[in-house]
Amino acid sequence: MIRHALAEGWLLLRSRGLISPVLALALAIPISLAGVTLSVRQWLAPVIELGDRESVVSILLHPRLGGAERQTWMRKQAATHPQWQLTTVEPDELAERLATWFPYLEEILDREGPEMLPTMVEIRTRDPQGVLALKEDLAVLAVGPTSSVNRVVGRVARQFALMLISVVVALIAGAVLLAAVWVHLELHRHAEEIAIMRLMGATEATVRGPFLVAVAAPALLAAAASVVCTVLAVGFMARLAAPLGLTTAGVSPLILFVQVVGAVGLPMAAAFITLERYASADE
Amino acid sequence: MIRIRGATKDYDRRQILRGLDLSVDAGEMVFLTGPSGAGKTTLLRLLYAAERPTSGEIWVAGSRVDTLARFELPQLRRKIGVIFQDFKLLRRKTVLENVTFVLRFHGIPQREAHRRAYKVLKRLGLHHRQSALPEALSGGEQQRVAIARALVYQPRLILADEPTGNLDADLASELLSLLCDINYQGATVVLATHDHALLESLPARTLVLRRGVIDYDGMWPP
Repeated sequence: MIRHALAEGWLLLRSRGLISPVLALALAIPISLAGVTLSVRQWLAPVIELGDRESVVSILLHPRLGGAERQTWMRKQAATHPQWQLTTVEPDELAERLATWFPYLEEILDREGPEMLPTMVEIRTRDPQGVLALKEDLAVLAVGPTSSVNRVVGRVARQFALMLISVVVALIAGAVLLAAVWVHLELHRHAEEIAIMRLMGATEATVRGPFLVAVAAPALLAAAASVVCTVLAVGFMARLAAPLGLTTAGVSPLILFVQVVGAVGLPMAAAFITLERYASADE
Repeated sequence: MIRIRGATKDYDRRQILRGLDLSVDAGEMVFLTGPSGAGKTTLLRLLYAAERPTSGEIWVAGSRVDTLARFELPQLRRKIGVIFQDFKLLRRKTVLENVTFVLRFHGIPQREAHRRAYKVLKRLGLHHRQSALPEALSGGEQQRVAIARALVYQPRLILADEPTGNLDADLASELLSLLCDINYQGATVVLATHDHALLESLPARTLVLRRGVIDYDGMWPP
């Protein structure tokens, strides 16, 4: 039976020309894309999760506030907003950060000294918009951006991943539909032969085997191509990301496994269902 | 080998078979004759379970055919060699492939299948056309391929529906001799025909079917 399925499946593959490579490509592209997306999402997971959890809003306190007044203000804010985590950034540290971010300020900072800088307070909170109320506080000179970079990066990454996964799902659905439609058309084309085979004593497995082989071949090809493409693409992106200081990792074996299962399992399931539905008609 | 009790078959309120009773023992050779539309082909179709009777019981080779589950059909059909009136050859396969194809279902290795098929084709005078496609053959040659396919796996029961319809007198006689040999080796043969010359050439049990009932059951000529 296996020999028959392989022999007749090969004939089906040969007779249908470009359909097999098209099906393999239609499966390999979205499954590779899914693998790359999931791998990159794994790299960005810490950023995405941080963005989800909390943000840090920086505020500058008025320079006229003395050390004691500043401490009193901090205690009052901590008591009023217990969910806030307040950290003072001393002028020395602020000067160092400014010199790092804006090197052209280094000369001024050296000349004038960090004492000329106001005190910065970082407020770590889940509700950055709530910090905006401090704009009315006379002790506060300025309130920094309430939308943290992490939060923006996380949101963008999430939306991008969602968009890619939606595209991937649509493409995979298209490829699976292609497999199902092809099986349906071939069943129609070979209806007479199938009826004769059944009259000659062919079992359902003998009748359906060649169709499954003809779908399995491009599916296996697509699975291999997806794994290779994903590994190469993720490797390439990791090399691009390295100079940016991003921590990257190789493709997870789980992702590769899911790719193989998806590339082979989905079109095979479509073929099984189509055969069950349309190959059951009696002669 | 065959036992039928009260089998009826209706198509669109038209009764083709009317309460048919029949018994054919293993190793018998039986001619089935009657005018066109008498129900010969329908009766054969019921025997190889291409159709189910409207009522009645049909037993073939120890299996009750009218109640067989779908998955049990292949097992029954592998015991029966059917020679179809319209040949039912696989158009995309060569003569040799058409004959060896069925041997795959019986799990016979390819080399042995080719040997057996060649032997049968040679006996039917078709070995020189083994690479031809059915469309390149004459009606008589296609008929002989269909016969070769039915005989190649040495079934216990052979059902032949007008097997000599496309053959000349010599080939018809050769086919009859072949079926007799197979019958002599123990196979049961049921041959539907309205060729009276064929009936008269071999004394055998003959069933005359008229309007869906067996009108005569005995040696021919009566």
